[in-house]
Amino acid sequence: MDWRRPGLRSLLPLAAMLAVSSTLGFGQSALDLDGHATNPLTADSSKVTVLVFLRSDCPVSSRYAPAIKKIANQYAVSARFWLVYPDKSETPQTIHKYLADYGYNLPALRDPEHVLVKQGRVQITPEVAVFDSKGRLVYDGRIDDWYVTLGQARPAPTTHELEDAIHAAAAGKPAPKSEVRGVGCYISDLE
Amino acid sequence: MIPRWRSIACTTLLMAVAMGTAGRIAARPAPRRESSSTSKQVTYNRDIAPILFSSCASCHRPGEAAPFSLLTYSDAKRHALQIAEVTRSRTMPPWLPERQAAKFADEIRLTEAEIEGIESWVRQGAVEGDAADLPPPPQFVEGWRLGEPDLILKAEKPFVLPAEGTDVYWNFIFRVPIEQTRWVKGVEIRPGDKRYVHHANILVDRAGASRRREAEPGAGFGGMEIRIESQVFDPDSHLWFWKPGTIPYVEPEGMALRLDKGTDLILNTHMQPSGKPEIIQPSIGLYFTPEPATKIPMLLQMENDLKLDIPAGTKDFLVADDFTLPVDVDVMALYPHAHYLGKDLQAYATLPDGTKQMLVHIPHWNLNWQAVYRYAKPMPLPKGTMVSLRYVYDNSTENPLNPNHPPARVIGGNRSSDEMCHLWLQVLPVNYDPAEGDPRMALQEALSRHNIEKNPGDFEAHYNLAAMLQAKDRLAEAIREYEAAVRLRPEDAVANNALGAAMVAAGQPGRAVAYLQAALKGNADYFDAHYNLGIALAQQTDFEHASRQFRLALKSQPDDAGVEANLGAVLAEMGRFDEAKSHLERALQIDPDQGLAKENLEALQKQMNHR
Repeated sequence: MDWRRPGLRSLLPLAAMLAVSSTLGFGQSALDLDGHATNPLTADSSKVTVLVFLRSDCPVSSRYAPAIKKIANQYAVSARFWLVYPDKSETPQTIHKYLADYGYNLPALRDPEHVLVKQGRVQITPEVAVFDSKGRLVYDGRIDDWYVTLGQARPAPTTHELEDAIHAAAAGKPAPKSEVRGVGCYISDLE
Repeated sequence: MIPRWRSIACTTLLMAVAMGTAGRIAARPAPRRESSSTSKQVTYNRDIAPILFSSCASCHRPGEAAPFSLLTYSDAKRHALQIAEVTRSRTMPPWLPERQAAKFADEIRLTEAEIEGIESWVRQGAVEGDAADLPPPPQFVEGWRLGEPDLILKAEKPFVLPAEGTDVYWNFIFRVPIEQTRWVKGVEIRPGDKRYVHHANILVDRAGASRRREAEPGAGFGGMEIRIESQVFDPDSHLWFWKPGTIPYVEPEGMALRLDKGTDLILNTHMQPSGKPEIIQPSIGLYFTPEPATKIPMLLQMENDLKLDIPAGTKDFLVADDFTLPVDVDVMALYPHAHYLGKDLQAYATLPDGTKQMLVHIPHWNLNWQAVYRYAKPMPLPKGTMVSLRYVYDNSTENPLNPNHPPARVIGGNRSSDEMCHLWLQVLPVNYDPAEGDPRMALQEALSRHNIEKNPGDFEAHYNLAAMLQAKDRLAEAIREYEAAVRLRPEDAVANNALGAAMVAAGQPGRAVAYLQAALKGNADYFDAHYNLGIALAQQTDFEHASRQFRLALKSQPDDAGVEANLGAVLAEMGRFDEAKSHLERALQIDPDQGLAKENLEALQKQMNHR
């Protein structure tokens, strides 16, 4: 039986094509929940930076909340985590509520212009982008292999790409860059 | 006392399919002329909205199971890439069976042209198009779909779904507060929170057996597959089932479920953690009819769990079963069931003339989207038809849902990490001669014999066959089968009680006592066993001990007229007339038509007057 994701391959070029279609305008940046331009990559140059991309209407990225909190907690000394909400329709209010509902204690950013989406080369929520302390992208892709397809999750993940990438970035080594895309919801580029 | 009928059923003994099409009113677009529409401009208003309205919006709207709505252009555009991917992979709309000749009542499946249309639309930049092309938005009934229910029951205590972990299976007990027998024509299941409950189905517990599993009354209890005993041969196979998108339906003409005073409805739910704790408190709405049922379907439960012994690493493990129908039936619905190793599930019928008819084929089984499949038109299968199931399991690492990592040997069982091989068919016997007895009994007897042939150690099959034989008054054979059941499970209270009851019925109260006592071992509040033991002792003129048993029976069911009548009778035998009189009067208070009490009270009155 084909346990892979039929159809995805034919759509990837489509997503890539659409991603190119909106270009990065000068002066655009991600915003904190008070609307201030924020660049998470300059916030603390001594640590690894992890951007976790979420959509509040994506059940898969929501289901990851306990795992994300655990990893962020475990690597708090070496890595700074940011939650990034790339969908234009996410408002500071909906994000505040989401953070409270899911018990997140991490800083959150809106990325309506997809500045961080492009820097992190992500396409799906949940995906992560890991940067070393110099701000170089070390890894982008899934957190682990928990989800196999939408609606099919393993009892527990058997790989741990995010943690592997944090270890590598902290050690100044290149990540084992498997670059497996996440399973979840597209970061829409159609608006 | 009629012996307890034990049903084989697990979770889904009593579910009803309720996925109607009433909420899906928008017409589907006409099939596209060209197979590839890349050159043609595809617009939301003209081409995409009709698909989303008819095949997606019943769940993708506020308050329903889907995580986001698909009711407007802006909704669709925000999720355009997602829609294209999940429709291409046929993850959405969720519909597992392959296309086949026999149609199901509620198929939701996109055509290839519709899927290609969505892809073209996205590739072309998700254009909105001419507002004049937009069809009217789909209309949905707000609130209860069948109108205000006659009775609404809410789970007494909510269940708190933990934020993380694997799937959760929880059972809520609804105690139905009715004083008289009612007939249920329809049920709407509100599973609590549709986003986190994957499916839910209703089981009928006529014996209050499930209550014993609650830590405290109203708390509910865990478990994926549950077993419920019922008092008489009464398979009650109304399939009340909920999954996302389900629309409640009214039972066909002549059908209704009998609900007696004291009956519990059990809602068996399958939930998935969401990332934060969720409060789940389901409710159900019941619709009654004054018309008693005239057509009573039966649940034919085929299974072959014994063959499930799947070595670690095996990729294509086949389990088969073939059962020949002893009577003509109409198949109304079916429910294929396996757990996480199930891969390809197929069931077909071979008619006496050799014609093969596919019943259902699920090439990519997914427990998350399991469902009851109801035929658009009942499927007639004549006597002599062989019903075959062929299930393939994958216990290798290639199955990502494998509960064991690395893979381990898996056998049949009720836990979610065990496996199952079940096919349940809701059938209505047709073309039979009522003089030859209940055709459902013939079906159950044939199935029990079939199961015993496959597996002489099948406890349920021996038990059920015994109950069938007893119902036909073939007591000696029934006792033999009950004895086989008790040999297999010497400590099973229900089987011991039934064996004892059959011996009492056969006029062998002396042999019965030991089994009835065994039934009470560790089950001091087992009403039936006390009752039957009381009868057995009374028949042996041990009135003193008989009266004790009846009093113990009254402790667990204080309002049972039959026990009061019998207690009155043995007290009268013991010459304790005043006490006897008060118990006989109490029996008649509870049930003015209690024949034994009436008769004995008259006799007693005469006796007392005579004195």
